[in-house]
Amino acid sequence: MSRQAHGLRAWLLQRITALYMLLFLAYLLQYFYTYPVQDFADWQGWIADPLVNLTTGLFILSILIHAWVGIRDVIMDYVQHTGLRIALFMVVALTLTGCGLWSLRVLFIAVLRGATQ
Amino acid sequence: MKFSIYRFDPDKDSKPYMQDYELGEDQLQPGWMLLDALLELKAQDETLSFRRSCQEGVCGSDGMNINGRNGLACVTPLAQLKSPIELRPLPGLPVIRDLIVDLTQFYTQYRTAKPYLINNDPEPEVERLQSPADRDKLDGLYECILCACCSTSCPSFWWNPDKFLGPAALLQSWRFLADSRDQATDVRLDELEGPFKLFRCHTIMNCVEVCPKGLNPTRAIGHIKELMLKRSM
Repeated sequence: MSRQAHGLRAWLLQRITALYMLLFLAYLLQYFYTYPVQDFADWQGWIADPLVNLTTGLFILSILIHAWVGIRDVIMDYVQHTGLRIALFMVVALTLTGCGLWSLRVLFIAVLRGATQ
Repeated sequence: MKFSIYRFDPDKDSKPYMQDYELGEDQLQPGWMLLDALLELKAQDETLSFRRSCQEGVCGSDGMNINGRNGLACVTPLAQLKSPIELRPLPGLPVIRDLIVDLTQFYTQYRTAKPYLINNDPEPEVERLQSPADRDKLDGLYECILCACCSTSCPSFWWNPDKFLGPAALLQSWRFLADSRDQATDVRLDELEGPFKLFRCHTIMNCVEVCPKGLNPTRAIGHIKELMLKRSM
């Protein structure tokens, strides 16, 4: 990412992801209020729906992007030492990527199980 | 009335300390501003140093941290302050002596914002005219007196005073972006890109809270981001 694009793009991404997360949370609240989950099978059934699976995936992606911009801002503000700053960026990026891949695996398994049932 | 004032003389002191002063009720006059009391204290102790000039909130020289809040001593009524009054230099900048800070960093950022009209058209016979509506857009922007109260109350400016322009400079940046006579919109916006110069602002709004002229740098910064967004689409 070029230095030019850093500022505005990050700021915009933070706002777009915030909006999406807000809408998705409203959906979650509404859904689980109307259809309370009783057991594990209910959870599996819910997440196996391709649309739910996809929007949940987008939700997790939003969290990761939002968290990246936020933590990146905190590090930029407080960590003045360049080497330490880069090291922290890498730790955060790796952790978030790990979380993302793990979520992807969970969602993928869930949708596969839904399709085979 | 009791005072606790930050003292530091680099020629004599190895580190700063707080010194107590007191003014009896008979030494105070009704309607006094904090600066009047400071001048009275200076008459007693001439080593006490602070900047002041116009004494009526126009020059912006006597910005200081008053009971934890940045403000101008000359327009802060003494009666409104809780005793003991704690006076410190504006936070985050190098102290030259007592309440006097080195504003170099602040002015450097001000210069970065190119606080002047850029217009390459041939100079007209008369003034460069603008409509009353266009002129109205500059209200709340041009009144800044550069007292530095806002930028030195901004945490983002404390952490990155060399990279983040700070509220005062960004208010000036918008003052010229909003000017119908200015032709350097693209250049100005290009220079503000990147994660630091503009986008270190996290809408903390300390600047709005302390501005002695009642200006709103946060809103100006919002307008800059909006304009940048519109341009990129």
